Amino acid sequence: MTQAVISVLGEDRPGIIAAVSQALLEAGCNIRSVSQTLLQAVFGALFVVAMPDDIDEAALARTLTGALDGLDLDVIVHAYPAGAAAARVHAEPFVVTTHGPDRPGIVAAVSGVLARHGVNVTDLQAVFEGGDRPEANAMIFQVDVPDPVSLAALKADLASAAERLGLELNVQHRRLFEIMNRI
Amino acid sequence: MLGKQEVISTLEMLKYEHLDLRTVTLGISLLDCASDDVRVFTARARQRIETLAAALVTTCDRLGATYGVPVVNKRIAVSPIALVGAPFTAAEMVEVARALDTAAGNVGVDFVGGFSALVEKGMAAGDRALIDAVPEALATTARVCASINVATTRAGINMDAVLRMGETVKATAEHTASDDGLGAAKLVVFANIPEDIPFMAGAYLGVGEGDAVINVGVSGPGVVKRAIERAIEAEPGIDLGRLSEVIKQTAFKVTRAGELIGREVAQTLGVTFGVVDLSLAPTPTRGDSVGEIFRSLGLASIGAPGSTAVLAMLNDAVKKGGAFASSYVGGLSGAFIPVSEDLEIAAAAARGDLSIEKLEAMTSVCSVGLDMIALPGDTSAEALAALIADEMAIGVINRKTTAARLIPVPGKRAGEHAHFGGLLGEATIMALPHGSGGNAFVRFGGRVPAPIQSLVN
Repeated sequence: MTQAVISVLGEDRPGIIAAVSQALLEAGCNIRSVSQTLLQAVFGALFVVAMPDDIDEAALARTLTGALDGLDLDVIVHAYPAGAAAARVHAEPFVVTTHGPDRPGIVAAVSGVLARHGVNVTDLQAVFEGGDRPEANAMIFQVDVPDPVSLAALKADLASAAERLGLELNVQHRRLFEIMNRI
Repeated sequence: MLGKQEVISTLEMLKYEHLDLRTVTLGISLLDCASDDVRVFTARARQRIETLAAALVTTCDRLGATYGVPVVNKRIAVSPIALVGAPFTAAEMVEVARALDTAAGNVGVDFVGGFSALVEKGMAAGDRALIDAVPEALATTARVCASINVATTRAGINMDAVLRMGETVKATAEHTASDDGLGAAKLVVFANIPEDIPFMAGAYLGVGEGDAVINVGVSGPGVVKRAIERAIEAEPGIDLGRLSEVIKQTAFKVTRAGELIGREVAQTLGVTFGVVDLSLAPTPTRGDSVGEIFRSLGLASIGAPGSTAVLAMLNDAVKKGGAFASSYVGGLSGAFIPVSEDLEIAAAAARGDLSIEKLEAMTSVCSVGLDMIALPGDTSAEALAALIADEMAIGVINRKTTAARLIPVPGKRAGEHAHFGGLLGEATIMALPHGSGGNAFVRFGGRVPAPIQSLVN
């Protein structure tokens, strides 16, 4: 069996996962892993599935589109990325947070610095509550910093970016948050 | 993955609620540096301290930056000098203090504790020499802190030592008259002194400890206060059981942060990790106050009726949260009520809302004692001794640690202002009834016998 990745996007309402997983079952697929999120009124999900040997991504896409017709969902079937199982360098988990008034370019600038240093973003969340409490407008980047990366250089570049954008920025090892908030 | 709330609430504690590591204290044994030649001893002691503590400050700063939790103070605590320097004269003890001061300065720490003696049952030669040396030692050094244990629940109260300490407190203040008696702010008299306090001025390395150890003092009165305020706002009809729970959970988080960094400092330096002291230790900064917690729990001021009950609840909830957070909790571990070091407590004393009598009552349920209390300059040595005796009695009978850090401010009267500076803060001088006369009770001397421990009423 080969693996495929299916992305599903649409207006959120009850029944989407039921419909998609039923369609996958009838297509002979096994769901290996799934990640689903709600962003404002939008449903988004990624399914990693094992496809039966006698179909390919295009065929699966046609089958799913047919089965989910009328549900107003965008469904795309992708080949599973080839290099995804490559060995990784050991990395330490950090949390980069920015606080400050919302403006265009924050995510691009911060993630640009991270990319230049070879730092991978493993989770990104935004808190936009408005008002004048700085913490009410925050971006939380959970990142993996590979051991060879210079933490000092990364922090310096992030600090410069933050200053240009008028933001407060913190970089802290993830262990602090885990150890303070979990038993 | 971390949830949004976990990240945001932790950051708010660090940025707005003054969560920090109040101190990382490296305990260093000097027992094997012993010599009857003071020059040999001081050379060995300096070498020991300057080697072991060489990387203390940089390690704390680096780990503090990694986690985003500032390590505010880095300190050193050594073996009790009265024991290690038992053969020395008082003048030689002063030399030892100067050597400790120099070593501490060279490694960049702001205080070194351990100029200490344990005299709950009697005074030996080294103890007498050290106590005799205290006024000059504390006047001529910047960083040295002294602690003298004069009572334990097992041994009772050594009233000869208590009287001697009343005299010593007064002399120490007089030796530093130009600084409002600042020397006495570095001297604490204890009952049931713990061996692993990371805070000053009581820190010393207990004789049951190893070669070197890291003890951590976390703090977070501001964090506790904000947690209480948020809970009251979010839960109408909230009761004291629920508020205790809020305090407990907050203490858990604060303790966890301290242990994380403390363990890594210990590991980096290659020494054992000792304990977290989870005391709520205030600084003279708005929002970093234990006194403000009393207001958030509904009292008009610390010192008003209800203060002892509030403190009892607070102290206990802090201990419970901390004890769940870490297996190694020690030192004082409770709430501090140092008058000059807490803006709100100092203000309450200045307004007359908080008296010495109420403070003394509160020491029966908190973890420190009569702490950083400025008294009139004409307070007699005997009155100081008698006040110390009161505090020792509270500790001895109730099987807890109590202490007295009293500062008779030379030349000033009740209601006037004393300024100690930095973390030691400033305070209005408090009135003490019968403070300037003699006290025949303390002149009896001897030992108050150890209390019976079975009939506990």
